[in-house]
Formats: sequence, C-alpha cells, structure tokens
Amino acid sequence: MAKGKTAVRLPVKNELGFFEIRMESIGGLGANVAGKILTEAAILGMGLNGAGFASYGSEKKGTPVKAFIRLCETDQLVRVNSPIEEPHVLAIFHEALAKSVPVTSGAVPGKTTVILNTRKSPREARDFLKLEGGKIGVVDAMEIALATRSRVNMVMVGAVARASGFLDMKALEAAVEEAFGKKYAALMKGNLDALRRGHDEVRFEEIKADGKYAPTPFRREEPKLGYANAPIGGAIYSVGNMRFKDLSTSRTGVIPLFVVDKCTHCGECDLSCPDYCFVWEKGTDPKTKKEGMMLLGIDYQFCKGCMRCVEVCKFGALVAAKEADHDVEKITVRQSITTKAKA
Amino acid sequence: MAKAAKKADARPAQTIVVQTGNEVAATAAKHVDYHIMGYYPITPSTEIAETLDAMKAEGEHDIRMIPGDGEHGAAGICFGATSAGGRVFNATSANGLLFAFEQLPVQSGTRFPMVFNIVTRSVSGPLDIRGDHSDIMLAMNTGWIILMASDAQAVYDMNVMAPKIGEEMSIRLPVMVAFDGFFTSHQKRRIEVFEDPKTVQNFLGPFVPTVTSVDPRRPVTIGPYMNDPDLINNKKQQADAMVRSHAVIKKVFAEFEALSGRRYEILDLYRMEDAEAALFIVNSAAETAKEAVDALRKEGKKVGLIRPTVIRPFPVEEIREALSKVKGLVVADRQDNYGAYGGAMTIEIKAAIQGVKGNRTMVASRIYGIGGKEFFVEDGVTMLREAVEIAKTGEVKVPYDYLGANAGETAFVPAMAYAPIPEAAVSGFTRVETGADGKMVVRGVNYRALTAREKRIAPGHGACPGCGIFTNLDTFLKGIEGFVTVLFHTGCGMVVTTGFPYTAHKVTYVHNLFQNGAATMSGITEMFEERKKRGEIPKDEKITFIMVTGDGGHDIGIGPSLGAAARGNRFILIEYDNQGYQNTGSQLSFTVPLGHSTSTSNFGPFQHGKSTHHKDTAQIFNAAHIPYVFTASESIPRDLIRKAVKAQKYAEEGLVFGKLISYCPLAWRTEDQLAWPILQAAVDCCFFPLYEIERGITTINYDPEEKGKRVPVGEWLKTMGKTRHMLRTECKPVLDAFQAEVDRRWARLKEMHKNPLL
Repeated sequence: MAKGKTAVRLPVKNELGFFEIRMESIGGLGANVAGKILTEAAILGMGLNGAGFASYGSEKKGTPVKAFIRLCETDQLVRVNSPIEEPHVLAIFHEALAKSVPVTSGAVPGKTTVILNTRKSPREARDFLKLEGGKIGVVDAMEIALATRSRVNMVMVGAVARASGFLDMKALEAAVEEAFGKKYAALMKGNLDALRRGHDEVRFEEIKADGKYAPTPFRREEPKLGYANAPIGGAIYSVGNMRFKDLSTSRTGVIPLFVVDKCTHCGECDLSCPDYCFVWEKGTDPKTKKEGMMLLGIDYQFCKGCMRCVEVCKFGALVAAKEADHDVEKITVRQSITTKAKA
Repeated sequence: MAKAAKKADARPAQTIVVQTGNEVAATAAKHVDYHIMGYYPITPSTEIAETLDAMKAEGEHDIRMIPGDGEHGAAGICFGATSAGGRVFNATSANGLLFAFEQLPVQSGTRFPMVFNIVTRSVSGPLDIRGDHSDIMLAMNTGWIILMASDAQAVYDMNVMAPKIGEEMSIRLPVMVAFDGFFTSHQKRRIEVFEDPKTVQNFLGPFVPTVTSVDPRRPVTIGPYMNDPDLINNKKQQADAMVRSHAVIKKVFAEFEALSGRRYEILDLYRMEDAEAALFIVNSAAETAKEAVDALRKEGKKVGLIRPTVIRPFPVEEIREALSKVKGLVVADRQDNYGAYGGAMTIEIKAAIQGVKGNRTMVASRIYGIGGKEFFVEDGVTMLREAVEIAKTGEVKVPYDYLGANAGETAFVPAMAYAPIPEAAVSGFTRVETGADGKMVVRGVNYRALTAREKRIAPGHGACPGCGIFTNLDTFLKGIEGFVTVLFHTGCGMVVTTGFPYTAHKVTYVHNLFQNGAATMSGITEMFEERKKRGEIPKDEKITFIMVTGDGGHDIGIGPSLGAAARGNRFILIEYDNQGYQNTGSQLSFTVPLGHSTSTSNFGPFQHGKSTHHKDTAQIFNAAHIPYVFTASESIPRDLIRKAVKAQKYAEEGLVFGKLISYCPLAWRTEDQLAWPILQAAVDCCFFPLYEIERGITTINYDPEEKGKRVPVGEWLKTMGKTRHMLRTECKPVLDAFQAEVDRRWARLKEMHKNPLL
C-alpha cells in the first residue's frame, strides 16, 4: 500500500477494469519517459495500480514508437501484458507520423480522447487524421517546449492528464522531479512549466461521428509473406527494397534546401549524407559548359533532417529551412529506380 | 502469483517502487550485495547491468561490475569468481545464453552456486530480439535450478530467494531466474521491495564457501580430469542434489512468505479446484491467460490454469496431483523442440503423467508467441476451448500445432526495387598504379565523378539521423570496383539495413552473429575459390568480399577475425568504431577510452566513466602481419577512399583490416550535423591518428603536428555530452591520464612511421 494515500477510483474502465493510455511517437521525443512519469505518478502519487511499457526494440532515434499505460484500482492485479488497442486517451506526439503509421487505429468515438501535437484547430486536426469523430484535443507542444526550454513529452503529459480527468497534477509534478531532479535540476522549472502549460492550453472539441470519415477499428496486421509463400530461411530476393520506405517522419521540423545556383557539384554533400538522398545525373554544367555529374536535388522521402549536408557545404548551396514553409512534395527530386548507367 | 503483503508489524518494512523487471532484478542484486557481477550486454537483459552501474556511480552499492569479452567470457569470469568464494551474479538472453552454454555444466558440475538471470528471448537465426522461450528451454538440462518469474514482483522475490536455494549446503547448485524479455523485463510495475537491504542480507546470511581457489593455506584441486569409472558417480551426486533441491525450494518459499507476506507455490494453480480442462503455460502469458480462464468460467466452463514457478527440478508430483481430475490439457509452449511433436513443457508433462496408473489426462501441444508474437486474452480463450473440447470428446484431434502462424497471401509477389547492379556499371572509376618508388599510387579519387558509381546500399534504411555508419560505408565503397559481397556482424549497421521483408542491400549480403563473422566470411571466400577450381563458377569471376563489424563485434568476435588473419583469408574487414555497443543502448566496449561515460561506465560522484584505456584493434591486426592495415575518418574522405582502393588490391594477397571512426550522435550526445568537425577533432588531438601499414611498413597519412593543427584531447572531449564531465576539476586526474596515453601511443606511432622495421 502506498503510504498515506487514499485510493483513487477511476471514472471509466474497460471490461478488464483498466483505464488505458496510448502514446504514438518517434524515438527521441521522450514518449518512453512520458510513460514512466505517468505510471509513477499514478502508482506512487495516487495509490493506483498499473503498468507502463513501450513497443520499441532497438535503440534508434526517429523510428516510430508506442508507449502504453494501463491503470487500475489498487485492489486489482495487473495480469494482461498485451499492447493497448482501444485506449481512453490516445496522444499523438508527432503529426507527420500519421503519414506512415495507422496512429488512430482503435480510436473509438465516445470512448477515446485523441490529443494531437499540432498548430491546427481541433476540426482541422480531425480532418488531418481522418477521425471518425469523438473528443479531440490539440496542443502546440513544439512551441510550448521551445518557450519553456523543455521537451514535447512534458507538454503531452500535461495534456494527457487533463484529458484523463483524474490524473493529479501534484502527483505528476512529483514524478517529474523524481525523474529529472538529481541530474537535471537546472531544467526543472522549464519541465514543470511545460507540464502545466500542456494541461492548461490543450483545447478540446467534441466532434460528432457524422459519417465524414470511416471508423478506424484496431486491426492486428498480419504479414503478406507467411509460411506458405515466404522463401525458406528468411531470404529476401527483392534487394534494396527499403527504398519503398518513407523516412520523412523522422524529421522534426527542419529540412536542407538545395540552392542550385550556388552549387559547384563538388560532391561533398553526397559523402556527408547518411541517407543517400542526393540525386545526380550526367549532364553539362551551364556555367563551365563541361560534361560531368550534376546534382539535381534532394529526395526528401529519405531525408531525416540531420543537416549534415548543410554543415558540410562550403558554397551555401545547401541551407537549413523550416519544413512547414515549403511544399516538400514539390521540391523533392525522385531517385530513379533503374540502375545508373556508367558515367 | 504473489499475493499483496498484509500489514504485519512483525515483518520488516517494505516500500513500493515502480520499476521494470530488469530494474527490480538490479535492485534485488543490490540488496543481496553480490561480490561480483560478470556480464556481457545483450537485449533485453542489458538494463540489469546498466541499472546496477548507474547505481554504483551514485554510490548505492559496491558490487564489482566486470564486463566480459562476450558471454562465454562473462560466464568464465563468473566461474572463476565463484571458485574464489563469493556471491556472483550474471544476466543474459537468447544467444548470449547459448554462447555461454559450454560453461553452464562447468558451473553446475563443479558445484559452485551463483545466480543467473535469463531474460528470455528468441534464439537466432534469423535474428529476433523479442521474447520467447527458445533460450531457457535449451538450458533445461545443464544442471541448474530454474525458477520462473511471471511478473516484476516475482523477479524481485525470486532473486532474493535464489541465492538461499543454491547455497544450501545439501544442494550447492547454481540457479537461474527466468522472466520474459520485454513483456516483463521492460514493463514498469508496482513492486514491493524491502526498505533495508540488510533485511535481504540477514535472510541469506553470510556466504560460506565449500572450497576456495584463494586460500593458499588450504590448497585444493578444482576441476580435475575425470573419466570413467568416476564421472558417473560425480553426476549421481549432482543429480541427487537437484532432486533434494525440490524440498529446499519449498522450505525457502515458506521462509520468504514469513518474511515478506508473499506466498509462492511450486505450481501456481488458478481455478483448478474442479477444472476438467486446463491450460499449462509459463511466465507472463500465464498471467494474461488467467483473464481467459475467468472469461470461460463466466460461461460455466470448468477450466483452470497451471503455471510452474520452478521447471528444474521439474515438479512431477505436483503436476500429477494437479492433473488428477483434468481430462483435457493444452500445453502452450513459446518454443518448439523441433521434431519432438511438442515444446519442452509438453514433453516434460507427458513424461510426468506417464507414470500415473490409469491416467485420464489427454494432452495437446500448442506452439505460440514465437519471436515475441503478442499473446492476447483471446489466444488463451482459443487454447482453453480446445482443452474443453478434448475433455468433452476424450479425443485429441490435433496433438501438435502452431497457434498464430499465418500462411500469407499466396498471390502476393514482393515488388522488385532494383535490377542487379551490372559489373561494368560500378567499374572503371578508380585504379592502382605503381609509382616510380615501387609504391602504390591511387588514381580516380574524384568526389564528383564518383557520384556516378552506383551505391551498393539503397536509401530507406532505418539508422538514426546523422549516423556515421552509412557515410563511412558509402565513402569506402566509392573506392571499390566491381562485384561485392558483404557480411555484417550483428550491430546497428545490420539491424537498420535488414528487417524482414525489407533489405537496404542491393548486393549480396550475409549476416552472422558477432562471435563468428570473420570465420563465416572465411568459409564464403574458401568455397568461392573451391568452386572456381572445380569449374562450377567461371575461373575469371571476381568478387570483393567485405566484412563489416562494429567495435563491439570486435570485442566478442575478435578471435575469428584473428583466425582469418592467420589463415590469410582474402577479404576486407571493416570495423566501424562508434565507441560502444550502440545498438543495445550504448554500453561500454573495450574501444571506449578512459573516463568516457556509457550506460555501463556512468559518470557520477563515485565513478568517473570507464576505468580502463581504449583497445587498439589496428595495432592488434598489425601484430598479425597481414598485408594491409589502415585507419580512416570520413572527415577526410579522400584519404578514406584512397585506402579503400588499396584495400581492394591488398585483399588479393590476404586479410585487410580497416578501422573507421564512426559518428554516433545518439550515444555521443552530440548534434546530428556535427560529424565532420567532431571526428576531425578526434584526429587532430591524435586520439585517432590516420595511418596505414603496408606489408609491415607504417605511414602516417595525416600529421596534425606538421600541419600545426594538433589540439589537446580536451578540445575533442568538450564537443560531446558523453565526455564533457572529463573537463571538470574532479576529473583532472582522469583527463591527464587519458592525455598521457594518447601522447604515448602517438609518439610510438611516429617512431613506427620513421623506421620501416618497427
């Protein structure tokens, strides 16, 4: 028993007795830490029982992760270990995720409150996510994080607490202090400000399931290659097929811009790019009239926004820009699928 | 299942913590106050050592933490340490357990107790890091007692009890505590732990060795050569001890209940009183499946669940008793004993009930959750319904089957992404000429022209933003002509370029575990030559073989690499040195320099980062007298490409070794875009000198002193979050020692550069 805490009763529960939270994020935004803080606050600060866990495996920045929090009343045991499919609160940390991950899967109008980190209004967020309906919350977590010198996760924790209707801010503040107090005392005020602002500034709107968008029930995806048709031994014959992946969700707001007029086609950017985004073609340099490899531009499908090319370019031909200010689809130069001819 | 503690004033105080299974295993180890932990990081068990190291940096305990050179080495450290008479702890998973396997019967057969946490995970290959039981079930017959912890509370409790069981004088056997990777190891739960570690230490009492290897006044021979007729008697002693341990476990469970208020039974029986149909299932999935039992009970079905807390010794009597009224039993195994028509538990249970006269229990085996495939309440319901059907009909229609495997969409054909790269398309860019002095001269290193050489790795891989592995590999491959076959050790580079059904490799790629990459590449190159000799492959076919390892892979796997050097196998071995085991969360590798902070060499008031100097792999390979050894940094790409061109040439003679310093913004705690300036600082401070050794003759290719660019190591260290603490006043001795070591190695290298005989 937690000392001196009167057990809290949950306002709503699912059929197994849990209030459930799912957070959709990418590695590096701190969803895992957010989950830890929420779990600790609920258990240590509020006397609830529960579990907190995440979906990720390897330690990669920029790849999609999910964090789960499952809470129940003190006298109940936590026995289920499976991931959360139909949460009461669904917090989406990173707008761009919606492009490549079915983030709204299992969002049920009337049960799920969806929170999106965005500058959009709740109605715009609904259209952006193609949500069937229900309670939608929006918060500009990136802006608040910058202003408070904290991180997106703190803002989102505050917003989740508000959406839950029962998670106690005092308990959350204590959990934040426990998590960062010793090592990062200097950042404490910013973290607590971000938490509070997330709680206070999230704006909700109840939107009717009016048939504009289809329901998004949770689907347990099964692979198309199974035991009847997968090559034995796990071999992959479609070589290089990772090129079908879209890595743009790894970016967090900045992109390199190619300024063709300043480019000398020296090739250093190509050497500095871990994601092989630069597209080259044999051609004639309009300035020198000489034949040679010409840099055509950037294939943003693969750009994770590391900005190494901007750091390396001596000629100002690659500059940092806010992604929101550009239509990336328009400025992207697609890599050709066919094998390059010999130069 | 652990029951919540009752408030009883007579019992020692307990406190509630919110920790994962791994964290609470570390908490238990801290409370036990082991003398030594010998370990080697492997997902998902790594966090145990990390947590203990972080606690140590804060002065919370004084357990000596010893990183092994691999799990085999870690197990050896543990064996040696137990023989020297103290309490010893270890943790591993999956292939780590298998790599240590040889040592397991050594530990049990020589009768030295210790505690080994097995955070269960799927055994490779293909490599899968998620949780199943294919590791622990292979360890069933190694002579260790095996306790099963189904949730995080049990992880703590079992870890408190385990030393007491194994150390009992009538037993003296090592003990494993097994719990589910990710499901239990990475799930934060509400756990009760003793407030005062002394409570645990008093419960266990002091460790009393039977023999020790460090008492010269009482000399002893440990581990003699023993053939027939003696070994059988030794094994009889061991087997008897295992049988006796059953009673000891029950006794310790009872003592622990008195201490903690939490009760454990050999079998956790859930709603079995009148059950006619039951499910036998171990660890975390059993807890989930209890919800399934409740669901079917609501329908009026007489179903129950059996979960063992001990699988060695196997609870034969308890199982017979529990099954006496059960007509239909489904045994769920999270692994398969291929060809045995059931998993390990199925076979053990069938053997156990075989001894019951008039046995009425019919058994079906279901393999589930392989490779960490999620287990849902509905899966439990499916298996229980099968058990009900068996009980009703008295017939097992499908004795052995996989639950959750899918046939796939038979019409589905994966889209092709690239046509194979023609040899001509990647040839004719770079070449080697012989200069007037007889030395190799490299031609064609033109960055712009080389953008036309098709990349052998496709975009779309999942590395972190700014990762140095892929700039290193592509820059190196810009200097390689023609066909290439690559082999990657386990590591970041491997994990992010393949994830079924995707691959980023456009050329042929092979993975093997990092104990053994170079040996595997030796086999490939030898077979290629042999098949050419036999006319099965055209005699003029040329392939350049390139093996890629991290610096971590060259801790655990350097043996086979030196083997390839000794055999003169003709391939290029590239080590991308990102200074740590970054794929598993940046634990220390032996290449990590003094004072650097990693997740197993934390900086804190009681520990100032890594305590030893960095391993110099390039010089190790120099001592192997192979044709070509080089170091390179992508911050000077021309030098790197030039060395690739030479490497391809020298690999026609024998093994080539190249070490590339590799930027890792995640673990180094730096901004993504700063690769070149930070790498260049490592070069300019002479920590990472750029040089090559051609047939024994050393040449420094870039001398920062000559160029007037040399800086103190502090100029490099201040650029990284993992090293900034080294510039603090309290770290001055560490900084000075590191600078002195860098100076000494650089001075030595300069002498080698001057003198062709060195």
